[in-house]
Amino acid sequence: MRIKVKIKRCDPTGRGGCEPYLQAYDVDVKEGMTILETLMWIKENLDGTLSFRRSCRSAICGSCALVVNGTPKLACKTQILREYEGAREVVLSPLSNFRVIKDLVVDLSPLWDKIGRIEPWLQPGSEPPEGGWIITKDEVERIDRESRCILCGICNSGCNSQEVDPEFIGPSAAAKVYRFVGDVREDGKRRRLERVSGPHGIWDCSRCVMCNEYCPKRVEPMTSIEKLRVEAIREGLVDNAGARHVEALVDSVNRVGRLDEAVYTFRSLGFLRSIGMIPLGIRLELHGKMPLPHIFPAIEGIEEVRELIRAVEEEE
Amino acid sequence: MRFAFYPGCAALAIAKEAYRSTLLLAERLGLELVEMVRANCCGAGLFNDKNRELNLTLNGRTLAQAEEMGLPIMTICNTCFMVLNRARAELDRDDYLRDKVNHHLARIGLRYRGEVKVKHLLQVVVEDVGIDRVKGLVRRPLRRLQVGAFYGCHILRPSEAVAFEDPDRPRSLDDLILAIGAEPVDYEGRTKCCGFQLDLVSPHLAYRMIGKRIMECRDRGGETMITGCPLCHINLDSYQGYAGKEVGFKLDMPTFHLSQLLGFAMGFSEEEMGFAKHLVSPERVLKDRGLL
Repeated sequence: MRIKVKIKRCDPTGRGGCEPYLQAYDVDVKEGMTILETLMWIKENLDGTLSFRRSCRSAICGSCALVVNGTPKLACKTQILREYEGAREVVLSPLSNFRVIKDLVVDLSPLWDKIGRIEPWLQPGSEPPEGGWIITKDEVERIDRESRCILCGICNSGCNSQEVDPEFIGPSAAAKVYRFVGDVREDGKRRRLERVSGPHGIWDCSRCVMCNEYCPKRVEPMTSIEKLRVEAIREGLVDNAGARHVEALVDSVNRVGRLDEAVYTFRSLGFLRSIGMIPLGIRLELHGKMPLPHIFPAIEGIEEVRELIRAVEEEE
Repeated sequence: MRFAFYPGCAALAIAKEAYRSTLLLAERLGLELVEMVRANCCGAGLFNDKNRELNLTLNGRTLAQAEEMGLPIMTICNTCFMVLNRARAELDRDDYLRDKVNHHLARIGLRYRGEVKVKHLLQVVVEDVGIDRVKGLVRRPLRRLQVGAFYGCHILRPSEAVAFEDPDRPRSLDDLILAIGAEPVDYEGRTKCCGFQLDLVSPHLAYRMIGKRIMECRDRGGETMITGCPLCHINLDSYQGYAGKEVGFKLDMPTFHLSQLLGFAMGFSEEEMGFAKHLVSPERVLKDRGLL
């Protein structure tokens, strides 16, 4: 079947700088053909100037990540006909949230810097015991997902927090942090958690679920971020808006079974930042939207909710 | 069609207009809603930041309550929809976790059996009511109104758990916009994040997200937006002023709840649909289109 494959290109040596443009190529595609095979065919037969990264062709190296019809994917793991059938077209673009070097090649150095900064190596407190560490199956499974990351940058491309804050730690580096925080041999757990509890850290994830949705290795970085948050609160790293936000919500549910928005806002923000919200509060009040504290009673069956919270806490 | 109605905290407090317009719309559509007055807050995902088992147990309670009622759950909040479905999927996948949660639930005489369905109003309208039925109920076609569908995150992702529609190419809201006579506006950020979860944590990131979404819609000709989520609505509407300051542009984008715009097209008045509750008034654009 002959289809048009549209590729978002840019050439930094060209006159317009790296001004992107869309170029269409006519390609005969066969059932089972991947996007990477298509790109290689175009480069070999139609246009030798087309640039893209690739290496292993089997979803191991993480080199060929790009955006297919708006969704970040591995070119080698994606069949072109399936994409064409879904959208009636195929548009290939470079990964989002990264600077484009040429065509489909982006500058991944911000990703390497973030990974480097989290010190991606095990830091045990002592030498291994004689005969080596004995690790149970459960202990390996705890960090199994995070160990699968191939650093392709797909999660960073989809990440909505990274889009508005390039300094945000990002899903891949956060997942890597949990890979060590969750390792029973690790000694630097608290230090690692302190580092990611600050600005641009784990509390800046907006839970958009893009990373969990698109990770080709099912690392589920957002779930790793949730696990890091649990560990950070357990370590007592609660002097930040993110942790206060969680504690305020759990308290509210324990008290009335629901979200007491006004008290919750106040407790999450603290006194000074709450004052800054007063103008918005007045406008909400004028529109009859202001959530007033304590005017709604606890839900029916609140004692059941408290009983369950107690039961889980006792177990912990 | 009967549903166990789980409105969620936002629709019961700050976004009451979503709750009220849903009740009117449901009656018009022939949906019988039995409100889950004993249900607790879903935690908006934040229970998972405290203790995963707490999340599964408290949401397991809601799921088990609906099973006792013998009804599928219907919610009008994307985040409740995602959190309940994610908990349901985890409990269904993992026998060990399910036993643990049921051990806790036994203390309050409940048991999660794994039979309940969790649906969103949007899903109920397109799957159970049907687009044709909606078309037939339209009394005030919203001709020429340019509406950007804001799907938001949690009605689409994680797709494995929420199992609603193609997370890359959703169309349900756009189909409904067409069904009520208006014109859907396609724009980049329709499936992206409104930033709600960062409002009280890193507000400037949230404001940037809101600003981007509204500008993306505006740049493609959108003059209003519609969302099925009261949390997205809080951001797109109540926080629009802050977002405008953040992106350095005076924004003026009225945003409707799904239930409001459907109800309005079916003949309910702007008072009944609670348009006056919005911080960004839709009055001007509706008058421009001859709809008020």
